[in-house]
Amino acid sequence: MTDYSPGSRGMGQGAPTRKDLVFGMAGSGGDGIVSAGDSLLQAAAAEGYHGVMTKSFGSQIRGGESSCRVRISTEPILNPGGNLDVAVALNWEDFLKFGAELPVSGTTVVIYEAATNILPDNIPLVGVTPRQVIAVPIAKMAKDTAGTERAKNTVVLGLIAGWFGIGAVAVMKGIRKKLAKKGDELVEANQRAFDAGRAFALENPLTISMAIVPSETKGAVKLITDGNDMCAAAAIFAGCQFFGGYPITPSTEIMQFFTDRVWGYGGAVLQAEDEIAGIGAAIGASFAGKKSMTATSGPGLSLKTEMMGLASIAELPLVIVDVQRGGPSTGLPTKSEQSDLFAACFSAHGDVIRPVLAPTSVADTFRLTVEAFNIAEYYQTPVLLLSDQEISQRKETLDPIDTSQFVILDRLCPSGPDLKDYKRFKQTENFISPISFPGLAGGTYLASGIEHTENGAPTNSGTVHARMNEKRIRKLDPLKDRKDLFEVLGNPNAPLAMVAWGSVAGVCREALNMALNDGLNVKLMVPYLLYPVAEGAYRDFFASVRKGLIIEQTHLAQFHKLLRMHIDLPAGVRPLARSGANPFLPGEIVAALHNLLSELQRRHEGKLQPQE
Amino acid sequence: MSATIEYTPKDYKSDLKPIWCPGCGDFSVVQAIYRALAAIGRPPHEIAFISGIGCSSRIPGYTTAYGFNSVHGRSLPIAQGIKLANPDLLVLAAGGDGDGFSIGGGHLPHMVRRNMDIAYIVMDNQIYGLTKGQLSPTSQKGRSTCTSRHGSLEAPVNPLLYMLAYGAGFVAQACPTDLAGMAAIIEAAIRYPGFAFVNIQSPCVTYGEESQQLKSLKAISENLETIGHNPADRLAAMDLAQDYGDKLHLGVFYRNPEPPPTYGDLVKERQERLAKDAIPRENILDLFIKK
Repeated sequence: MTDYSPGSRGMGQGAPTRKDLVFGMAGSGGDGIVSAGDSLLQAAAAEGYHGVMTKSFGSQIRGGESSCRVRISTEPILNPGGNLDVAVALNWEDFLKFGAELPVSGTTVVIYEAATNILPDNIPLVGVTPRQVIAVPIAKMAKDTAGTERAKNTVVLGLIAGWFGIGAVAVMKGIRKKLAKKGDELVEANQRAFDAGRAFALENPLTISMAIVPSETKGAVKLITDGNDMCAAAAIFAGCQFFGGYPITPSTEIMQFFTDRVWGYGGAVLQAEDEIAGIGAAIGASFAGKKSMTATSGPGLSLKTEMMGLASIAELPLVIVDVQRGGPSTGLPTKSEQSDLFAACFSAHGDVIRPVLAPTSVADTFRLTVEAFNIAEYYQTPVLLLSDQEISQRKETLDPIDTSQFVILDRLCPSGPDLKDYKRFKQTENFISPISFPGLAGGTYLASGIEHTENGAPTNSGTVHARMNEKRIRKLDPLKDRKDLFEVLGNPNAPLAMVAWGSVAGVCREALNMALNDGLNVKLMVPYLLYPVAEGAYRDFFASVRKGLIIEQTHLAQFHKLLRMHIDLPAGVRPLARSGANPFLPGEIVAALHNLLSELQRRHEGKLQPQE
Repeated sequence: MSATIEYTPKDYKSDLKPIWCPGCGDFSVVQAIYRALAAIGRPPHEIAFISGIGCSSRIPGYTTAYGFNSVHGRSLPIAQGIKLANPDLLVLAAGGDGDGFSIGGGHLPHMVRRNMDIAYIVMDNQIYGLTKGQLSPTSQKGRSTCTSRHGSLEAPVNPLLYMLAYGAGFVAQACPTDLAGMAAIIEAAIRYPGFAFVNIQSPCVTYGEESQQLKSLKAISENLETIGHNPADRLAAMDLAQDYGDKLHLGVFYRNPEPPPTYGDLVKERQERLAKDAIPRENILDLFIKK
C-alpha cells in the first residue's frame, strides 16, 4: 500500500527542487480537464501554495476543446506564467488548438494519452524538443480502476501528485467532499484512479526531478475565486443594491452572483430584455437613490453608449463593468483582449469624461470595484470598470482581505438648508451638488438628458450649457491627483520603463522582477485609473525615461495613443502591442527590455565617438 | 403616505411653461394627470414620473413630482429600475407613439410580462411632432408626411391589440374630447395593482390631419361603457381593439378581474425570505474561503 501521509514523497519523485510550476492541460469538453484544474488549485491552496488558474474553451456550447493552465508557486504570483513546465494532452488535436495559450518549450515535461498511438519521439509539436515526453495509458487506467474513462482527470491528478508532489492528500480530500453526496462507490472509484496515477508516476520517475518544495505557509486560510465573482462580491460589500443587465460572455457571472445573493440585502436584479434596458434599469435605480450597477462585454458596451451619456449629464452615480473580450463585434467571445479602451474612454457623444478604472488581478478587483462605487457616488458620475476575460474568469488563491480597511462613500444628499429652494444642479465650489431622490420631501426635481439649469429646468442656452459642461468635467479633476491609483515598481529613476494596465500588468510585474534580477535599470508603472489621463503622474514617471514600452493587448496600441493624446512621451517610448488571445509571456518582455537596453548603449557609444 | 393632507390638481402643476403648440392635446392630458393624482392623493415627492423623448415626453417637467425626462424610447426600463429600487413610490411613465411603439417598442412585451405596478400613458398623435412631422409607427398606411411624400408603405401598429396580446392586465383608451373621462381612466390605471396601459388619442394641431383633430375624433368616438362592453372580457376587448384607427373607443378595454401578484410583491417576498441567510456585507468574502 502506498503511504499517503503528507510527508511521503515516493522514491520516484526525487528531491523537491521547484518553487514554481506551470501546468497546461487540454482535452475535449467531456474530459473534465477544467474540473481537474479546479481540484489541483484547491489542493495547492490547501497545501499553502499560491496559485492561478485560467481556463480556455472553444466557443462550442458543449464538447469541443477545453483547456486550463494552473500555475502553482511558493511565492505570490500575478499572472498565469509563460512556457509550460508540464503539458498534459488527453488528445493532440484539442491540445494544438490552444497554440500560444499552451506554449511548450525545451524545459517542458509532456504527458499525453498513450491511446493516441503516437510515439513519444513523434508527437506533433513542431520545432521544439521537450525535456521529457511520457505516454501514459490514462484512459485505460481509468477504465481498469474506476470502471469508466470518465475518471481520466482523476488519473491525471494522481500523476501530478506522484511526479510533482502536489496534492497527494489534499486532492482526494477535495474530491471526497465534492462527491460526498453521490455515494461511496463513486468516491472509492476515484480514489483507485488517483492511486493508479500516482503509483504510475512513482514507478516511472522523471529524468530530472520537478517536484515542488513544500510551502512554508501550509494551513494558512486562503480564498479562491475569479474576477467576476470578486467584482460582484465587492459590489455588494460597497452597498450595491441593484443590478440591471443582459447575459453576455465573459461578464455573465457577475449577474449570476447578484441573482443568487442580492435579494437578501434588500436589493434586486433585473435580467433585462436587452443591454439598453439593463443599463436603463440601473440608471433608474440610481435615480431612486440606490447604489446600482450593470456589467457587460464589448458588444453590450456599444449598445449601452447612449445611456452612459445620459448618466453623465443627469449626474447619476452608476458603475458599468466591461469585461473585455476580443472585438470588434462578436470578435473572440471567449478570449481576452484590451481593445475596448477607446470605447471605454470615449463612448457617448458630446463632451464627456467618464472615469475608467482597471483592475490587474482577481485580488485587486475587490479594491477597484469598491473604488468604482466610491468615485461614482462621490462625484455623481458613471464609472467604467474595465476588466478583461483573463481576470474575470481566472481563479486565484488569495490571502484574506481585511474589509475593515476600506472606506465606503455615499452620495451627498441634501440637508435641511439645501432643501429650501432646492437646486439639484447647484454650482458649488467643487462642482458637486447635493442629490435628492424620490421619496425625499422638498427635493423634487427633473432629471434629464436635455441640458438643464441649476434647478433642473430644460434649457437651450449656450451659456448654461458651457457652464454645466465645465461643472460635469471639472468635478472630476481631483481624480488626477489620486496617487494611490498609480503604482510605480522597480528603480524610480530608471532610464528603462514599462507601462501596462489590466491583466497585462501582471505579466509585466513578473517581467520586471526578472529584468531587475538580470541587472537592468528598469521600472514599471501600473495605472489603475486610465481615464481621465493623469498627465502629472505620467510626466513624473517618464522624467527619467530614455527608452520604454507601453505593453498592451490591442492591435492599434490604444493605450499608447491615449497617452500621446495627453502628454508628450519620450521619443524612445513605443508600444509593444498585439491583438488578444496571444498572451504576453514574461520572458519575451524581458527580451524586449534587453533590446531597448542595447539600443540605449549603442546610442551612448555613438555619443562617445570623437566629433569630426 | 400622508392620507391626512388633501391635494388639489394645482398641487401637481409645476411652474414650467409647456413648449407645446397652442391647442395641443397634451395640455388636456397633463390636466387629467393633475386631477387623477389629486384624486389619489399621494404627495408629489412620492411620485416618480418618467418619460423618453418627444413633445409629450416633456410632461414630467410640468408636474411637481420627481421627473425623469430621459432618452428616446427608454422610459420603461428606467421606470422599472426606479420601482424595483423603491417599491413604495407611485411610478408613472409617459411618452409618445414614436417613443413607445417604435424606438422603445421592444420594451413593451417585457414590461407587460413583468407586471410591475407602473402606469404607462402614451400620447398617440400618429406623427413625430418634435422633429416636425415625420411618419410615426401609428400613422395610417398611405399617409403623406415629410418622410413619406409619396405615401407610407407600412401598416400602422395597433397598440391596443399589442398590449392585450402581450397580456397586459389593464388596457384603456382616452381622448381630450372627454377630460373628466380621461382623468378617471388615468386614475383607474394608476390604481390598478400591476402594469396598466392607457393610449390617449392626443391630436397634433400642427402636423396632424383634419381627421385627427378633436372635432373629427369626437365624431368617431364611442364610450365602451355605453355600448355595454364588459372590461373583464379579454377576447371581447381584443375584438374591439381591432377598430383602432377607424373608431375611437374610449374607456377600459380590459381590466383583469383577478390581478395576479405584481413583480414587486414577488420581489418583496423573496427579499424577506432570503434576508435571514444573507451573510453580513463586510464578511461577504468568506464565501470564497477554501478549507
